[in-house]
Amino acid sequence: MHIAPWLLYTILALSFFGIVGFLQKLSTDLLSAESALVWLTVGFVLMEPFLYSGTSMFHYSARSITFVVAGGLLNALGSWALLAAMKNGGKASVVVPMTAVYPMVVCVVAPLLLKEHLTSIQAAGMACGMGAIFLLAS
Amino acid sequence: MKWFWYSILTVIGWAGWALFLKIGSVEIPSEPALFFQTLGTLPLAVALLAAGTVRGPQNRRGIVYSLLIGILTGVGILFLLAAYRLGGNTAVVSVTTALYPVVTIALAVTLLREKLTQRQVLGLGLSLVSIVLFSL
Repeated sequence: MHIAPWLLYTILALSFFGIVGFLQKLSTDLLSAESALVWLTVGFVLMEPFLYSGTSMFHYSARSITFVVAGGLLNALGSWALLAAMKNGGKASVVVPMTAVYPMVVCVVAPLLLKEHLTSIQAAGMACGMGAIFLLAS
Repeated sequence: MKWFWYSILTVIGWAGWALFLKIGSVEIPSEPALFFQTLGTLPLAVALLAAGTVRGPQNRRGIVYSLLIGILTGVGILFLLAAYRLGGNTAVVSVTTALYPVVTIALAVTLLREKLTQRQVLGLGLSLVSIVLFSL
């Protein structure tokens, strides 16, 4: 079975996010959600010196930089809103499956915005993947 | 119903994150892209600190776990960006990475001796089918 490089990297990302999910369980037993969010941001920041490759980094177009910075902001906002939902009476058993559907929004918006197309096999894989997300989150 | 709208905000935030990262990563390589996306996460952490929500004694082990979460999330995002840059379809990559509970559950079962529900077993099976289909 040949695994395309993009799929290999996707599986690696999935694996790291999975370990993160496990550590989240351990950390939120010991810290408040807000503290955990602040400390994980510190963890992010600890990587910055290794990622900074000089002033040439700022030669990318303002448009691309804005999208990536805004992406980071949206990610943090999404994580905060998840905690706020649980704090404001949302049951984890309802909130987690509900928020797990975010790839569905991507599936609807990406073809329109980025003009990407799916093959029928990819569409079948996505249907299985969405089913799995629902089942795993419930 | 406040929780409902917060949940919707989470969906919008994470979907927007996936799409914006894909658009930005067309031009910017993975490492600088992660550098810039981290800059985007800072305002919320600063706001939480300024609002005084982070108070009281902090458990040292909890801090280490959280720092590790930040670092491992960063590494995960590097791989995600690499997948985008190698031409991975945004929708397919988003759905596949959202299968990460498979790994969390596997770790919880082996390390914490947690039991799997029937739905989770079915979910694990479907996620494997999904990944095999993407590899065809």
